Amino acid sequence: MIRKTIKIKNKLGMHARPATMIVKAATKFRSEFKIVKDDIEINGKSIMGVMTLAAEFGSTLDLIADGIDEEYLIKEISELFDNKFDEE
Amino acid sequence: MKSINVKDFFELKKKELSLSLVTDPKTMDKEIVNPYLNRPGLAFAGYFERFAFKRVQILGEREISYLQSLKSEDMYNIIKEVFMYDIPCFIITKGLSLPDQMEFLANEMNIPLFVSRLTTDKVFHQLRRYLYDQFAPSKTIHGTLVDVFGVGILLTGKSGIGKSECALDLVERGRRIVTDDVVKMIAKDDIVIGKSSTDYGHFMEVRGIGLINVAKMFGIQAVRPTKRIDVQIELMPWKDNMDYERIGLSENYVNILDVKIPIIYLPISPGKNVSVIIEVVAMNYMLKSFGYDAAKDFSQKVQADIKKKSNKQK
Repeated sequence: MIRKTIKIKNKLGMHARPATMIVKAATKFRSEFKIVKDDIEINGKSIMGVMTLAAEFGSTLDLIADGIDEEYLIKEISELFDNKFDEE
Repeated sequence: MKSINVKDFFELKKKELSLSLVTDPKTMDKEIVNPYLNRPGLAFAGYFERFAFKRVQILGEREISYLQSLKSEDMYNIIKEVFMYDIPCFIITKGLSLPDQMEFLANEMNIPLFVSRLTTDKVFHQLRRYLYDQFAPSKTIHGTLVDVFGVGILLTGKSGIGKSECALDLVERGRRIVTDDVVKMIAKDDIVIGKSSTDYGHFMEVRGIGLINVAKMFGIQAVRPTKRIDVQIELMPWKDNMDYERIGLSENYVNILDVKIPIIYLPISPGKNVSVIIEVVAMNYMLKSFGYDAAKDFSQKVQADIKKKSNKQK
């Protein structure tokens, strides 16, 4: 299991488009994927879950992956955050 | 190119348009080749530039009274000149009686003349609608057309994916089948109408059983003859890496006969209840056409929430 803390770097936060990007990237992997924000834990492969976090600019999230390809999953998802989901 | 034989047209429409043939039956050996109508007033006045002679010609009170105002010899000459063109047929409206020379020349020159007892306006509208339908662009597609809560859903997908079974399940749930296997699609202005390519009735093939008659088996309420196509659903086997729509903020469209129809790529896997999903598609379409979009509503709520939190931070 890998756990990684990550910060939201895009101004608009995790709205519909970034949420879709995360879910689509995550569903390619076999590992389980969870995202934790404050005291809410959701399934990172569920669009409703990811969107309901309503994660704003500057807030921190924990990415938790568990499975055979967990490293790759975390790497790819982290890149999305680092690239600000191709936004500002 | 498509054409309608004038004799066939007469046999089919004489009742509805209240038509009677004035000329010899052998004049009817002609073809209607386009869906338009023409009022040939200008031609009878001697102006033949851009004379749309290939269209069905409608003669109303205006044209007939103009002709009758001419001197006998002038009338003869101008009618003869007009009749030199390869005109499919003339329809004289309001049961007007036509000049003798006209009937004589039409027989001589092989131009069919009909008299309708309807008004010019009625003939125009009914005939136009009929001809437009006949000449409308159409094509057939492999698929199944169902009516779900009044929403016309065209199911497509590879043979054997379960379109027919899905349609049967929908019928069981009280929905209606328009046609199975072959859908004939006809474009009318900005909509596409779907129907069976034959008039045999609502037969369908169920793998392992053979042919069944849906109307006989499930009753007349299970079928309908035609339906506007509102949404296409492409059924496809579930693939893990396929990019399926998750929120529904973006919509995909296909172009059917130059009409834009929304399409949904629906992954199916064993044990999934496809009929319920198809009903959901229909209801979602209805909600959207009434102005409610769940995807937009939800994402706006999320955005508002994000904004509230960001403001608090500052």
